[in-house]
Amino acid sequence: MSGMQYLKNRLLTILVNLMGMWTLALFLLANGNQVQAVLLIFMVWLLVLTVYLWLTYVVRKRRLNKLLRMTEQLEERYLIAEIMPLPDQADEQVFYQIMKMAEKSMLEKIGEIQRERKEYKEYIEQWIHEVKTPITAMKLLCENNRFPFTREILAELENINQYTQQALYYARSEHTEKDYFVRETDLCEVVHGAIADNKYLLRQSNMQIRIDEMESRVYTDEKWVRFILNQIISNAVKYRAEQPVLHFSAVTANNRILLSVSDNGPGIPPGDLPRIFEKGFTGQNGRSGRSGKWGKDATGIGLYLCKRLCDKLGIGLAVYSEDKGTTVELSFQMNDFVIGVQG
Amino acid sequence: MKKKILIVEDDMTIQTQLQTLLAGNGYEALAVTDFSRTVSQVRDFAPHLVILDIRLPESNGFEICSQIRTFSEIPIVFVTSSNTDMDELSSIMLGGDAFITKPYNTAILLAKIAALLKRAYPSGQTEVFTWKKAALHLESSTIEYNGQKAELTKNELKILYYLFRNAGKICPRNDIVDFLWDNQLYVDDNALSVNITRIRDKLAAIGLTDFIRTKHRQGYLL
Repeated sequence: MSGMQYLKNRLLTILVNLMGMWTLALFLLANGNQVQAVLLIFMVWLLVLTVYLWLTYVVRKRRLNKLLRMTEQLEERYLIAEIMPLPDQADEQVFYQIMKMAEKSMLEKIGEIQRERKEYKEYIEQWIHEVKTPITAMKLLCENNRFPFTREILAELENINQYTQQALYYARSEHTEKDYFVRETDLCEVVHGAIADNKYLLRQSNMQIRIDEMESRVYTDEKWVRFILNQIISNAVKYRAEQPVLHFSAVTANNRILLSVSDNGPGIPPGDLPRIFEKGFTGQNGRSGRSGKWGKDATGIGLYLCKRLCDKLGIGLAVYSEDKGTTVELSFQMNDFVIGVQG
Repeated sequence: MKKKILIVEDDMTIQTQLQTLLAGNGYEALAVTDFSRTVSQVRDFAPHLVILDIRLPESNGFEICSQIRTFSEIPIVFVTSSNTDMDELSSIMLGGDAFITKPYNTAILLAKIAALLKRAYPSGQTEVFTWKKAALHLESSTIEYNGQKAELTKNELKILYYLFRNAGKICPRNDIVDFLWDNQLYVDDNALSVNITRIRDKLAAIGLTDFIRTKHRQGYLL
């Protein structure tokens, strides 16, 4: 609350007082009072008026500042009407009522949107579970009845499955509840699982797979890591070289286990590299479109989701790319406590 | 004796295709048709293993699992499309032996089934395949002919295993590579040719010539 603004608001009070002083002066002078006496009365009047204005200003400012601070400290500021005291001024009470009403309608709106979002999320999850039945049926039909084109259908089914998984994890990553299940996981098994999920895509693209010996056991959620690896593999298949190679390796360093997935694809331009985890960021390679060199339009969701899931699971995610080839590195914290218990 | 597997799955296509798949891999597969009396069908059929979907009409997999567990310890494989941790946890708590999510990789499903059956019903005998007097020993990873033995690498053993299992049939190169990938051996077409050449050399050394024949543009044949 600024002093000038307050004075302007009080202009009417000041004018009324000045008019009163003027009228009183005329009256007193007409009655033959001395000018000095009139001036003295003026002085006292002005002093009282100034003190009154000053005091009300200070008191109001202090009260309002306190309210302002309270609001600023509040996590959900729209709830201020809930905790602020009922003001004693008549006009402020009206504003208080208005705030209460605004808050109520706001809360109703938020509740409605939250409910809608929850229902939508549930519907998406249910839909994904339902669509998996026909995907499974198609997979089995293809596996049981081999034709020259069944391989291509199986590869497309792997794509469809990856997209549905993406939608599922997107829906799940929006929510704060922890729906992961951390336990001892064999990294090698997860890698083999992820390769199996993309078998036909990898075979179709003539990808050479190299896996270094890895004896690494980490504490994490297997499904999430498998999804992340699927995403990385799917990127490696999309952006691949003439004779594509995909190399998996794991090393232990500084209490962390680093799982690297390297390809020999076109790599990521240095300008794009800092932004690859941004939602919706597609980069130069991704934007080349369906007719472009890299086949399909990127959605900019895959790596963004990977980053989010990694953050939630406490896995470090880094991408390196120099000129040619990309290396994605997942770093898992080795749990000292668990190692200690195991001796 | 063929091992009996009971399929409890309400989707008709998956049900029949699973039956075909399992029958093709040497199992006797039966599917539950009346889901109101699944448990009594388990009793009547006395399978060696049950494949159990979680979401079923009239009942659910968890209930059926705990009912089966009251009278039998047969391996139970849970198969479901909802991969929430709660489901997985419940399935383990209720005595399920494996938890596989749809859409499953058939190779992984079959491997899991084979492993569970082997664990639950140990046969005691070593696995040996024979064809035209040549014997493939899986345990020791060797091939034997007329008393002479040759050591095999992992890749060579798996290739020969596939050929022995499909002995007398033409095995397309692509299918062999698929099989190797299912066994976590990621070889490509060229590497397959190299491996076949090496196997032929090893076989020739123990007196087996023309054992693996090449069918032009089709594949290999034992």
